Amino acid sequence: MRTMTAAGARKVRSRTWTTLADVMSRWAFMGPAAIILGAMLAYPIFYTVEISFSRFDLMTFSAVEWIGWENYAHVLDDYRFWSSMKVTLVYLVFALPLQIVLGFGIAFLINADWRGRGTVRALFIIPMVVAPVVAGGIWRMILDPLWGIMNWLIGLAGFAPLDWFGDPNLAMAAIVIIDTWRWTPFVVLIATAALLSLPRDIFEAAEIDGANWWSMLWSITLPLLVPIIAATFVVRWLGAVKMFDIALAATYGGPGGATNVINLFIYEEAFRSLRFAESAAMAVIVLVLTMVLTGIFLFGTRKLEERC
Amino acid sequence: MTAAAFDAPLRRRSRLGRKVRIAAGVFACVVFLFPVFWMVLSSFKEQRDIFTVPPTLFFTPTLETYISYMQRADISRRLINTVIVAAGSGLLSIVAGAMAGYALARIKLRGAGTIGVIILLSRGVPPIALAVPMFLVARSLGVTDMHITLILAYCTFLIPYVMWLMRGFFLALPKELEESAMIDGCSRFGAFFKIIVPISMPGLLSTMIFSMILAWEELLFALVLTNRYASTIPVAIAGIAGDTVNGANWGALTAVGTITVIPVVVFALLVQKWLIQGLADGATKG
Repeated sequence: MRTMTAAGARKVRSRTWTTLADVMSRWAFMGPAAIILGAMLAYPIFYTVEISFSRFDLMTFSAVEWIGWENYAHVLDDYRFWSSMKVTLVYLVFALPLQIVLGFGIAFLINADWRGRGTVRALFIIPMVVAPVVAGGIWRMILDPLWGIMNWLIGLAGFAPLDWFGDPNLAMAAIVIIDTWRWTPFVVLIATAALLSLPRDIFEAAEIDGANWWSMLWSITLPLLVPIIAATFVVRWLGAVKMFDIALAATYGGPGGATNVINLFIYEEAFRSLRFAESAAMAVIVLVLTMVLTGIFLFGTRKLEERC
Repeated sequence: MTAAAFDAPLRRRSRLGRKVRIAAGVFACVVFLFPVFWMVLSSFKEQRDIFTVPPTLFFTPTLETYISYMQRADISRRLINTVIVAAGSGLLSIVAGAMAGYALARIKLRGAGTIGVIILLSRGVPPIALAVPMFLVARSLGVTDMHITLILAYCTFLIPYVMWLMRGFFLALPKELEESAMIDGCSRFGAFFKIIVPISMPGLLSTMIFSMILAWEELLFALVLTNRYASTIPVAIAGIAGDTVNGANWGALTAVGTITVIPVVVFALLVQKWLIQGLADGATKG
């Protein structure tokens, strides 16, 4: 009798042990990623939040005293912060739609059925893997007011040369052009795959019914593409809010802050002006804004996908 | 007969349309390739051939810029650093990210859905929000200017990317694969490494290569976390482009730019099929 219970207890214990081992082995797959992201992503975010509410001592290089919302008040009072936010907004509003429209347009062009299609598509990979900082650098050379090839081409066409990096609006245009050059190929590659995956029979049926090209585009192609356009937009948005390298290499925020996107501004405030507390507060503001907007966009994409 | 006659103009027009369409597509491609072509071309010019109006297309090519610049700045060391950091973070993030992606796709975990949402949101975290604390912590631990610091920093954006991509990839695999392996006595790890990993090789490799490219190009963390011994190529380029005192040295810019871009382009074109597939999946399976 006693031996029986002992065996039973052992069985129970071994069963708990197996379940535990099973749970462990399930979570072990998450382990490495969880540890790295916890230490390198979650912890720094908490630390940023802490610094943003503290007075930062440059002697000890640490957050020393909790001062509440003071840093935030400073930042919100700083007109440079607002102008940098505005610059970022202008960049996003122009660059993202331009890249999506151009990307899908070019994808439509190169998807024509011909021998060179694969090659052309592969070649579009090249601008996409040019480091953004290199892209900024080369374009600075191309757009140089005196020696750049762009102004020479503009001159050939009979127009006056443009002062790309001296005029605030043109400098913003230059940033949008460079970013669009760097990222449109990415959209093109996604869009070509999306266009190829569209069901052919619908188009054939529409053609037989006498639908013309334009009405097919508006009433078949675009509605079918809406989910993927939305998804591409989200992926581009996630990249564009981090834009830093191109502005740094091409204009360094100039002239007079006209292209000083928020990431560059925070970087400058932190590592040039050593205003760590204020830049932490700005980083938190940007982080919250990005998270909220990303959440909204993801939610919107889901809804669009469900509807289609 | 009448039908054919009726069709003819329409078909001719669409054939013309097709030609215009192809020509426009090729033209767009040429426009997009031109800056890279111009950079590579200029890198073989002498200084006096760079600063000309109209721009010179024909000139005696020279390696002068490469040779002089490779000696002046420690480009070769930066190049080695960039290779180490890109390879290290690519490998680390593919291992950690693929395992976690597999866990999200296939293993019943309590809270997996929440974790998935958090990962997706974490792809939106602007690196600048991490740069300040990383710099301060690295400084107080005395680990600035080290490869491992940069590798771990790059994992913050590479692991979420890999997790998400591989999660979609593993979801598409038939479930029977590891079920039968586990019935045959494989452990969960055994089933993953012996069955799942080998058949997912194309996806894993293309994701890893893309991760390495992302690490290769990264600027912000490299600027903040390194200054001398572990500094990477993008930092050098930012330095050359941002030299406001002497004006940008275009020879150096094009030469170092070419060195940075060519290996990545070769790599990317070698795996272009997988790369395009991976990109398409990354956007659609999100």
